[in-house]
Amino acid sequence: MAFFEQHIHDEPKTFLSKYIISFDHKVIAKQFLWYGIFFLAVGGIMALMIRWTLAFPGEAFPIIGTLLFPETGGVVPPDTYAMLFTMHGTIMIFYAITPILIGAFGNYCIPVMIGARDMVFPTLNMLSFWLATLSAAILLFSMFTPLGGAAGGWTSYPTLSTLIGSPGVGQTLWTLAIFVLGISSTMGAINYITTIITLRAPGMGYFDMPLTVWGLWLTAILNAIFLPVLGAGCLLLTFDRVFGTQFFLAGAAATSGSGDPVLFQHVFWIFGHPEVYILILPAWGIVSDLLSFFARKPAFGAKATALAMTSITVLSTLVYGHHMFTTQMSPLLTQTFMTLTMTISIPSAIFFANWLGTIYKGSINFATPMLFSLGVVFVFGLGGLTGLHLGTVTTDLYLHDTYFVVGHFHYTMAASVLLGGFAGVYFWMPKLFGTMLNEFWGKVHFWITMLGLNGVFMGMMVVGYAGMHRRIYDPFVYDFLQRLIPINTFITWSAIFMGLGQIPFVINFVHSVFWGKKAEANPWQVGTLEWTQPSPTPHYNFKEIPIVRCGPHEYGNPNLPAGRDFQYQTEEIV
Amino acid sequence: MKVLFSFYLFLTAKLFAAEDGMSFIERISPPEDISENGHLIDWLFNYITIMDAIFFFFVCLGIFGFSYLYSAKRSKRGEYTYGNRKGQILVATAIGALVFFCIDLNITRIANNDYVGTFINWPKADEDVVKVQVLAQQWMWNVRYAGKDQTFNTEDDVVTTNDLRLPTGKKIVVQVLSKDVIHSFSLPNVRRKVDAIPGRITRIWFQLKKTGNYEIVCAEMCGTAHYKMRGEMTVYSPQEYQAWLDESQSIAVAENDPENADQFWGWKWEN
Amino acid sequence: MTSLVKESFSSRQVEGHKLVSSIAMALVLISFSMLFAALFLGYAVYRMQNPVWPPMGMQRVPLTLPSISTLMIGISSLFYVYFQKGYESFSKKQMKIGLFSTFLFALLFVGSQFLLWSEMHSIGLFVEAGVFPSLLYAFTWIHAAHIGLGLICLLFLLPVLSSGELSFKMDNRIINIGKFWHFLGLIWLIIYLVLFVF
Repeated sequence: MAFFEQHIHDEPKTFLSKYIISFDHKVIAKQFLWYGIFFLAVGGIMALMIRWTLAFPGEAFPIIGTLLFPETGGVVPPDTYAMLFTMHGTIMIFYAITPILIGAFGNYCIPVMIGARDMVFPTLNMLSFWLATLSAAILLFSMFTPLGGAAGGWTSYPTLSTLIGSPGVGQTLWTLAIFVLGISSTMGAINYITTIITLRAPGMGYFDMPLTVWGLWLTAILNAIFLPVLGAGCLLLTFDRVFGTQFFLAGAAATSGSGDPVLFQHVFWIFGHPEVYILILPAWGIVSDLLSFFARKPAFGAKATALAMTSITVLSTLVYGHHMFTTQMSPLLTQTFMTLTMTISIPSAIFFANWLGTIYKGSINFATPMLFSLGVVFVFGLGGLTGLHLGTVTTDLYLHDTYFVVGHFHYTMAASVLLGGFAGVYFWMPKLFGTMLNEFWGKVHFWITMLGLNGVFMGMMVVGYAGMHRRIYDPFVYDFLQRLIPINTFITWSAIFMGLGQIPFVINFVHSVFWGKKAEANPWQVGTLEWTQPSPTPHYNFKEIPIVRCGPHEYGNPNLPAGRDFQYQTEEIV
Repeated sequence: MKVLFSFYLFLTAKLFAAEDGMSFIERISPPEDISENGHLIDWLFNYITIMDAIFFFFVCLGIFGFSYLYSAKRSKRGEYTYGNRKGQILVATAIGALVFFCIDLNITRIANNDYVGTFINWPKADEDVVKVQVLAQQWMWNVRYAGKDQTFNTEDDVVTTNDLRLPTGKKIVVQVLSKDVIHSFSLPNVRRKVDAIPGRITRIWFQLKKTGNYEIVCAEMCGTAHYKMRGEMTVYSPQEYQAWLDESQSIAVAENDPENADQFWGWKWEN
Repeated sequence: MTSLVKESFSSRQVEGHKLVSSIAMALVLISFSMLFAALFLGYAVYRMQNPVWPPMGMQRVPLTLPSISTLMIGISSLFYVYFQKGYESFSKKQMKIGLFSTFLFALLFVGSQFLLWSEMHSIGLFVEAGVFPSLLYAFTWIHAAHIGLGLICLLFLLPVLSSGELSFKMDNRIINIGKFWHFLGLIWLIIYLVLFVF
């Protein structure tokens, strides 16, 4: 039962209030979506520059190479390379995935799926977007400072990230940008958690919420708790750089006494590990729902999935040390982290059982959102399983800092989250923009992305196991890596293939937003609350606050009359 | 579209027939393992991979099999079940528990045994081991051997740059430190690495069983020339090693300059 | 807390808004706590690594100024409660005295922090001198920054004094800013005890 009823505001009239300074969660969602897609492109081009350098060392980067690097004739220089992989990681995690999955889908889906008219704090919501924009401006600016942007990896370990390793102001601006973004995301998190607790429509208990909302809720909880820890780390690093404190300075870097560089790693990963779950939880939620919607069957073990997501949320806070096995922590800590990391496989296995159980004996419609959802099951299977190799201490001693790690986290973060995000875009397009994305080009987009993606990231795991270390400008300085040149070339071509595959999507998306055919109210025949309203969702969301009478996965009930195979959440179960 | 796909297939085919004539399997295998205990890591990696493959095989069977069997064309209506019947929950729990206890915890047990029993089972203080100190810095590896006085950081130490020489058949303990930023002392042919941290000494021990020339890699981003921070590890037979050490020690006494403070970067060997 | 409700909302709406802002405020305080918790974790690690504390032969900070700071912020919190009681009993005078005194003692707190920082300088505890002064400065700077935020929040309470308008929105604002203010006082108390006393 909602704690209070939000009243219906007048529709905004001016261009400024409609599209720029908007308090409407749907507009803010779209702002985050454009923002995220822009940075996905920037991060993607950076990735291609990295891959180009690895596959074709010494050759100029095509088209824009000579423009960006005139002194070297278009070839990416080593220090720029370092900045590229740092920015690629930072941008993809904080400026692409977070805005799209959490900023856009969180903002759009939460109020409409729980039967509310807006977020509980619309002003905070608006501030959250503009702070994120400020953060992006700081980050982009930092890349054009004299000594360049941050170049110590997105993990920014001291003492490389202190003045001795990174003398320029770029690293300080990077830290500042992350801090500001953290504030923006924390504001959003508080908004999401409070909205879900207090504005659910009458009749919507927690287990009547779609799993998408569960994923977003748990993500917000982790964000609210752990972003401040990153904030503390950023503050201390900034103090070291700007005011001369000694927190992380040791060795030649320390002016007096000795700080502890490894402490930064602890603080960073206490945030960092929950962060990776923050990034994937919305995608898990979306996939769990979409598999049910397109298989026309209730989500198998929906309650168990929700509880499994909750238990992973809790467990994720206890396992961060597996990022630090090579720093030689005490044996007790090391073994504890390994054992706890292993326990995460239990809830993950529950997801797979439930996902497969959902499509078993279903009646599957292979529309684009469903293809992407099935894709997530596939890639997350691969990615999650390779986590076992890395969570085990002894194998990690070999695999740490190799491309195996890169392949693993790209499978789980990039592949799964990206495919889940695309599934969401194709699925909610009618509600967000009132049009449908073209199905044919959607399927083209899917197959090219899947093929390319698997080529890239499986290739990375292969070369990683073969010994190729990461963050290396020219791996072929090492004799034992010479044999990996063909595979690296293959990975780069796969990446280019995958990159080109995004062009149909962008064209499809832009075309549909501005010139697409108007969509009907419920093209996918789905019963969650947003589909009870016209497309696009009207500015007030719901004229009357709906009363919820059943769960979000009522499909295939044999008692339903002919011609219908689902029920809206506002209907009694027949 | 067809052009793109065929080009991609062509590329994939190229993988298997590259110019240098190496077989694909050889290409993707890790570098040669010359250590006594590296096989523990290789074995466990393969074990985990096989377990993963079995699980993933079933997942794929589910994804592709169910997609085929239950597509809307074949299956007109979805089965109306939430999967919360007692039997279903029991089976799911049983499978989950089986997987966790038999596979995950087994892997944990094996890894723990290897870790505690071997990799951090440091040689005793009185054992005859080869002792080396490695100081990592941007962007090179400084290596130090105690001289005839068996004490580190004295005038007769053998100090090299990017040049680590070791014997087979004897335990080797390397203590690692960094001068400036965090590096990581990585020996792919020994299957292990340990971070080089400024202000804190870390260590690694191993034993080698094959001679030859191998490489040292830096495995933690340490700045612009991180990619060039390559060292050479030369493994000798015990006699060759002793010969080299004796020769180097005599040269060291002659060449070391006691006035040069930079040369005395070593530290007291604490076990 | 009673209030004269200007808009014609049902009492359920009023209670609802109050509960909503309580929940949100609890989350805000949890977030801020985690930031300080991370800092205290760092402190614990450094303390454990150095058997002698303060390390490197440094002096402890004399307790006079930190104790004065604690007193100032404590009195400020007390005056806030006085202000709140004034709001509840519709006493304009009490509200004025309460709010201005809260502000005043907060400024005195900040002033005592500046004096503390210059005293630390005079006994050789410079920022660059090591981990011990780094911790002292970092904690007090971050806390002072949050006090700055709090002072800005207090400014949002000024409308209460001038218009005399009471609404459930203002009720919640006063309760929530109060929570934040007392939270800052509590954090200072912990900093005082952990970093200066022990």
